[in-house]
Amino acid sequence: MILDVDDLADLSAGAAFLATGGGGDPYLTYLSACEGLRKYGPADLLAPEEIADDALVVAVGAVGAPTTSLELLPSVDESIQVLEAYKSLTGRKVDAVVSFEIGGGNSLIPIVAAAANGIPVIDGDGMGRALPEATMMTYALAGIAPTSAVALDYRGEAELIEADTTEAYEALIRAFALERGGMALSAEFQMTGAQMKSCIVPNTVSLSKALGQALREGNGSAQQRSARLAEVFEPSIYGAFKNLYSGIVSDVSTSVQGGFDVGKAVISPLIEDGRAPLYIDIRNEYLTARQGDAVLASVPDLITILDFETAQPINAERLRYGQRVSVFAIGCPAHYQTDHALGVVSPRAFGFDFDYVPLMR
Amino acid sequence: MRIGIDVGGTHTDAVVMDGETVRLAHKALTSADIITGIRTALRHLQAEGTDMRAIEAVMIGTTQFTNAVIERRGLAKVGAIRIGLPSGRGMPPKLGWPGDLSTALGDSVHMLHGGYLYDGQPLSQIDEAEIDAVIEDLTSRSLKTAAITSAFSPMNAEPESYLAERLRAAIPGLQLTLSHSIGRVGLLERENAALLNASLLSFADRVVDAFEQAAIDFSLTCPVYVSQNDGTLMQKEFVREFPALTFSSGPTNSLRGAAKLTGLQDAIVIDIGGTTSDIGVLKGGFPRESNMVVEVGGVRTNFRMPDIQAIGLGGGSLVLDEGRTIGPQSVGHDLVTKALVFGGDTLTATDIIVAAGRAEVGDPTAVADLSSELVAMALTTMQTILEDGLRAMKTSHEPVPVILVGGGAILAPETLAGASKVYRPENSGVANAIGASIALIGGEAERFVNYAETDRETALADVTKAATDVAVSAGAVPASIRTTDLEETIIPYMDNGAARVRVKVVGDVASLNTPAGESP
Repeated sequence: MILDVDDLADLSAGAAFLATGGGGDPYLTYLSACEGLRKYGPADLLAPEEIADDALVVAVGAVGAPTTSLELLPSVDESIQVLEAYKSLTGRKVDAVVSFEIGGGNSLIPIVAAAANGIPVIDGDGMGRALPEATMMTYALAGIAPTSAVALDYRGEAELIEADTTEAYEALIRAFALERGGMALSAEFQMTGAQMKSCIVPNTVSLSKALGQALREGNGSAQQRSARLAEVFEPSIYGAFKNLYSGIVSDVSTSVQGGFDVGKAVISPLIEDGRAPLYIDIRNEYLTARQGDAVLASVPDLITILDFETAQPINAERLRYGQRVSVFAIGCPAHYQTDHALGVVSPRAFGFDFDYVPLMR
Repeated sequence: MRIGIDVGGTHTDAVVMDGETVRLAHKALTSADIITGIRTALRHLQAEGTDMRAIEAVMIGTTQFTNAVIERRGLAKVGAIRIGLPSGRGMPPKLGWPGDLSTALGDSVHMLHGGYLYDGQPLSQIDEAEIDAVIEDLTSRSLKTAAITSAFSPMNAEPESYLAERLRAAIPGLQLTLSHSIGRVGLLERENAALLNASLLSFADRVVDAFEQAAIDFSLTCPVYVSQNDGTLMQKEFVREFPALTFSSGPTNSLRGAAKLTGLQDAIVIDIGGTTSDIGVLKGGFPRESNMVVEVGGVRTNFRMPDIQAIGLGGGSLVLDEGRTIGPQSVGHDLVTKALVFGGDTLTATDIIVAAGRAEVGDPTAVADLSSELVAMALTTMQTILEDGLRAMKTSHEPVPVILVGGGAILAPETLAGASKVYRPENSGVANAIGASIALIGGEAERFVNYAETDRETALADVTKAATDVAVSAGAVPASIRTTDLEETIIPYMDNGAARVRVKVVGDVASLNTPAGESP
C-alpha cells in the first residue's frame, strides 16, 4: 500500500485514539509529516510478511515528555537526519523502518523516515498502543537488543548509544532527551526481518487508518459512535471494546517527573446522578481507570478519553478542568498477556497494588 | 439602567435594560462604517425617551473582528516572528493555514534563534544579526504590525519582551502582540492567536474610536464595556490591545440572552441571522464550551469559545433549484433591497416564508405568484437543514427544548424533530443585545505557588480568592462569583512542586447604584 499526504489525517486520528493519552501532540507530528511527504514523496507500506527474513529493520521514533513537544517543535529534516546519522555512526544501511509505538506521533515518524530515505515502512509496531518505556516494547520482550542505537536532538546533533540491557538503554536515551529540551529522535532495536515477524504487533498502521476513518465518518456524541468503533476493534487483535464512563473533568494535575508526565485526573458525572467519580492514573499514558475500590480497566489494556461531543481523542497534556469526556477501554493484543510480558506491563510493574484483570468482551 | 448593543454582520441592535426588564429595543442595519448604525440605534432609543444621563453602563457585543478574519477583510499585514530555532526547521509560522488568510497577513515570516527549554536552559542563543535582518525586512515592507512568539514563553516571556524592545526602538509606532499575553502552552495555537490578534490591531483602534465618538455624541459618561468570547466584559480600552478576545462573543451573547428571555437553563439555541444559523447549547444558563482546539477562519487557536455549529441558512439565503437548495449563498445585509418582498429581484428564504403566509414582511403581493410546489419544497428544505443541524449538536436521543432567536427566527417551523418544545420568546430578535447587557464581570489571578510549602488545596483557594477580589473591585456581586477556569502549569526546573496557577472567576455586574461588594 502507498501512503500519501491524503492518508495522514485518518492515520493520525486513529493513532491518537490508540495513544491512550500519550504519544505527544498528534497535530504537530501530523503537520510535519505532511510537510515531509510533500517534500520527499509518498511512502511504501509493506505487510510484515513482505519483508525479507535477512532484511535489516530499525525502529524509529521520538522519545521524551509529551508536554515539551507542545513548545519544542519537530523539524521536517530530522527523519532523514536520524537514518543518515545511524548509517554514519554504526556503518549499517537500513532496509526498512518500523514504528516502535503506533499510539500518537510515533506512528507517523517512520512513514516520513521511509519516504525520505526511499525504503519501505512496515505495517505494524512494537506496542499496539503507546507505553512509556522501551522495555515494554514487544521487540524488547522478545529479547532483541535496543542498541547500537542513535539519538538525535532538536539541534540535529546525533550520538551513538550502547547499553547492555534495555533498562540501561532506556535510562541513557531518557537522559539524552531530558538534557536536550525534553524530546529526542531515535533509531533503535536493530533486527532482522525474521526477528521482526516473530514479535511485531501486526497491521496496526492499516488498523489505525481504518479507525481514523470510523472517527471521521461517525455522527453524534462519543457514546453514539461507540458501535461504529466497536466494529473496528472487535474483529481485530484487540478484541474487547467498552464505554466505561462519561462525565466532566473535575480535577487534573500532572507534572514532569524523571522525563515522564505523571499525574491524576478525576472525572465526575455531568449531572449529579449518584455515580462515584472515575479516577485516571497518568504516566504519559492513561494507565488505570478506577471507581471507588473497583478497577474498571488497567494497563496493558488500552484506556482512551474522547471529547464527549466530537469523539476526538484527548491527550493527557490537553486534558483540562471542565471538559466533557467519554472514557473507553479496549483489550490489549495477546503479546502482552503472557506472564513474561505482564512482568513488565502489568499494573504492579507500574507500582500499583493490584493485578491485571483482562477486559472481557 | 443599562444599554446593550450588538453589532452584527447585518443588524445593529440596541436595548435599554432596567434591571431584568427590557424597556426599549431597536433594530438598525449595520453600516459599513459601524458608527452610523450605532448612532441610528442610540438616536432611536433617545427619541423614545431614554435619558442618556441615567444610563449606568453600555455593553457592546461585536462580531466585527470575527467577521474580519472569516471574510479576510480589513486585516493588517503582520510580521510573523518566531523565536525557537533550531527546533521546528521547515515548520514556519502559518503552516497549515488556509492560503487566502495566510496571504492576507503577508509573507514577512521570520524564524529566529533564541528562547528557552522546559528546564530553563537556553534553547539557543539569540542572534542579534537575525534581529537586525527582521528590522530591515519590516522597515523595507513598511510594516506597522508584528506578532512575536517564543518557545515556552508562558513559562519565560523574556525573549519575546527583549525582541519587542529591540523592534520598538528601531521602528517607532510598531504595533505588537506578544504571544504570552494572549495564549497558553501550545506554541502553534498561541502563535496563531497572536498573529490573528495583531492583524486586527489597527482595525481595533478605528472601532474603539467609533465607540468613543458615539459615547461623546450622546453624552454617555458611563463606563463602556465590550463583551469577550467567554461571556465576560472588558473595558473598551483593552480592545485596542486584544481585539481577538471578542471572537465568538456574538454567539455567547445570543445564548445568554436566550436563557434570560426564557428562564431556561438547559436548551439548544438556534440564532437565525441573515446568512447563517448558529446552533449552540445552553448548560446551566451558560454556553457549552468547545472542548477542542477552536478554529477561527480555518486557523487553530486555543481560545476558550462556545461550541457553535454554524449552518448556511438565514433570512437572506438564496433559494435555488426549485426550492431544493437553500443557502449557503446569501444576499446578507442587502436583504432589504434584494429580496422580492422588498422590491428586489432575488428569491430568498424570507420571500418563501412570506409567500407561505407564515410572516408579514415587506410586500406580500410581490411573492403572490410563486408556485405552491416551489414554496412547499423550499419549506421542507429549510426544515431539513435546521433539523440536521439540531441533531448534530444534541448529545442524546432525548428531545430537548429549542429556543429560536435572531431576526431570521421566522424561518423555523412550529415544530422541529428532536425538539421537546420550540420557544420563540418576545424580544428574541434582540437576544444578542440583551445577552451583552447581562454579560458578566470576570476576574483573573495568576501566581507562582510551591506545593512543597503550601498544600495544593490551600494554594488553589488563595489564587481563587485573589481572582475574586479582582472581579469584585471591577464591579461583580460577590455572592454570584464562580470559578470558570483553573489552569495549572508545573514548572519542572524550579524547586520541586513549583507551579504557575491561573484562575478565572466570573460574577454578575452589580447595579452601579449598589456599592460594589453588596448584593442587590
